[in-house]
Amino acid sequence: MTALIAGNMAPLMFCALIVVLLLGYPVAFSLAAIGIFFGLLGVNLGLLHPSLFQALPERIWGVMSNDTLLAVPFFTFMGLILERSGMAEDLLDTIGQLFGPMRGGLAFAVIFVGALLAATTGVVAASVISMGLISLPIMLRYGYDRRFATGVIAASGTLAQIIPPSLVLIIMADQLGKSVGDMYAGAFIPGLTLAGLYALYAIGVTVLKPSWAPALPLEARTFREANGSSGTTSLIVLFIVAVISAIAFAKYYYAADAPTDELLVVATSVGVGVAFAAAVINRLFRLSLLSRIAERVTFVLIPPLALIFLVLGTIFLGVATPTEGGAMGASGALAMALGRRRLSLALMQQAMDATAKLTTFVVFILIGARVFSLTFYGVDGHLWVEHLLTNLPGGQLGFLIVVNILIFFLAFFLDFFELAFIVIPLIGPVADKLGIDLIWFGVLLGVNMQTSFMHPPFGFALFYLRSVAPVKDYIDKATGKLTPKVTTGQIYWGAVPFVLIQVIMVTLIIAFPGLVTGGLAKKAVIDTNKIQIEVPVEEQHLPGSATGQPSEQEDAQNAFDRAAGGAPAAKPPAKVPPGSAQ
Amino acid sequence: MKILLALSRLIDGLNNLIGRNTYWLILAAVLVSAGNATIRYAFNMSSNAWLEIQWYLFSAVFLFCAGYTLLHNQHIRIDVVTGHLSKRAQAWIDIFGTLFFLLPMAVTVMWLAWPVFVDAYQRHEVSTNAGGLIVWPARLMLPAGFLLLVLQGVSELIKRVAFLRGLIPDPSEAHETPSAGEQLAEEIRRQRGDMA
Repeated sequence: MTALIAGNMAPLMFCALIVVLLLGYPVAFSLAAIGIFFGLLGVNLGLLHPSLFQALPERIWGVMSNDTLLAVPFFTFMGLILERSGMAEDLLDTIGQLFGPMRGGLAFAVIFVGALLAATTGVVAASVISMGLISLPIMLRYGYDRRFATGVIAASGTLAQIIPPSLVLIIMADQLGKSVGDMYAGAFIPGLTLAGLYALYAIGVTVLKPSWAPALPLEARTFREANGSSGTTSLIVLFIVAVISAIAFAKYYYAADAPTDELLVVATSVGVGVAFAAAVINRLFRLSLLSRIAERVTFVLIPPLALIFLVLGTIFLGVATPTEGGAMGASGALAMALGRRRLSLALMQQAMDATAKLTTFVVFILIGARVFSLTFYGVDGHLWVEHLLTNLPGGQLGFLIVVNILIFFLAFFLDFFELAFIVIPLIGPVADKLGIDLIWFGVLLGVNMQTSFMHPPFGFALFYLRSVAPVKDYIDKATGKLTPKVTTGQIYWGAVPFVLIQVIMVTLIIAFPGLVTGGLAKKAVIDTNKIQIEVPVEEQHLPGSATGQPSEQEDAQNAFDRAAGGAPAAKPPAKVPPGSAQ
Repeated sequence: MKILLALSRLIDGLNNLIGRNTYWLILAAVLVSAGNATIRYAFNMSSNAWLEIQWYLFSAVFLFCAGYTLLHNQHIRIDVVTGHLSKRAQAWIDIFGTLFFLLPMAVTVMWLAWPVFVDAYQRHEVSTNAGGLIVWPARLMLPAGFLLLVLQGVSELIKRVAFLRGLIPDPSEAHETPSAGEQLAEEIRRQRGDMA
């Protein structure tokens, strides 16, 4: 009996974990307790050295001093302040008016605003709730198909999970031991492609089922010129002028050898600046050169674009580390909420309270997982998992297919954080051993896990949408007509086509790795800028490393890197004497 | 039981007090971190102490809020299987989990982390980074945070037992505050005033 236990510690531990997690007691404590219990058992059976437990405080210390995870509270706080600043409402109203006159226009507006909000911060709940309260009633009013309307809202809300900056990518980078900056660069094209696929589906609907997505009727269009035109020509002209000035600036004024993404950030800023200046001048001098919609669209797009610049722009320019980018974004969101007179002490407290709780439960799952893995790796659990997964038929592809199917189904039951902290550390090292690029792998799993927000019946996005969609028939205020409620079945069925699109996207990334690595190749040019320099250190900390005990040398190296992070490579960072990184 | 319930209320009060004061450190961390990036870019200056303060603040938040988060039942659970059980059954699960998972684990960590702090304090351990901070306050946060967690575990245990004996209403619902999402929805509804 003892021999049987001793010989199968890893599988036993794994089964115990599953049983205990299903009990429904908080995951963090169950994980840690299993780790400690099996650790004691292992010591008693002579499988583990008693000194194993001495490494435990150091493991938690490693979590405490983890700079990457610091981004979790920053981006959460930013999102919570931002969602109450009214920015999303303005965007949805204005962009809805802009696209509304087209067939399927409201759906395009939802996708566009969803992607834009996703690029400023990453809170699925906020996007879904705002769209569910602002866009859904309008879509219902003008006869959108209910499944299509709810599906497009839930799906667009989940874009926050994959378009940088997102918590998913930060935690994925941390768990795979890669830099957040690379993960962001790799996720950009897949994220936008996914939004594009949603839009493609919406176009398909307007062609095949025009009655599902009608255009807004004339009386619902509020931005109209005195002569009755919509004013979009003026907007298109303004857009073209902005694009031309951006390209001209890039060509004639910027250093020819500048790295691509730095150029992209600066040129875009110039283009946006030109449009903004035009709108401001038009407004101040009452020139009436721009139509109302052109002016309005410019003004509502400035705040999200400014925030995107603050967060992603500073990261890609090498001014800030991804963590600091989060802090910049949070400061920007605070300033914006203050400027719009939406910031109050109560709001600050609510946001900090929610952030503190989220940060705590996330970090505690990680602490639990690290205590668990201390024992699990001690009994060679990682070798067991590796053995299971490397012996799959089909090599790399077989592994990828099995892992993706596994994650897809686990996502029905597990939250993203649980998947990231429990499952990723087990499969990450195997992927690495099979020669799979971990950035690519992380983005792939990120897209896959995004479906966990849309799976009926547990998907969070569906849950949030349900919480704000009308639960009983109501009289529409604008038309006075009795409008039927939105049923839960409609929300579930609405999500199905988008879950399928998600699966297609996963397949696309496997078939065309260039979608991810293309973004990285461009980025490699500015690696000299050393945006995030944790890679060499973190790789030694791969979840697979059994000791988890960072040496003091590594710590010193880490701090040196942090101090250097973001500073241009040519200028050595101040205040770091040469001796500190020995 | 009355004394125990009083103890439980005392612990709840303590963790609420600590939690509500600790969360301000998030704002401090945001400002420090944004300041670090700005100053480094503008003046090409960087200080290891200021970089380290960031994660001291971060650690303080999640360690000192551990008990607070448990009090508000925000530590994440997988409730697909047991979510449909009766309140009493769930109270039994919580009692079992607190006794066999939470308390042993938190006490073990406290036990192991305390000597590390004592060592750091006696040696006046300073961060290995040039110009870094002294280490012992951070080393102390670990056992202190887990102590708050242990205390809250005891309080939760008392409340679950009292609930099973019919002395108090279901404690898992006592501290529910509206979520950020609910507050957002309410705000939008108030401003629009046109929702069903």
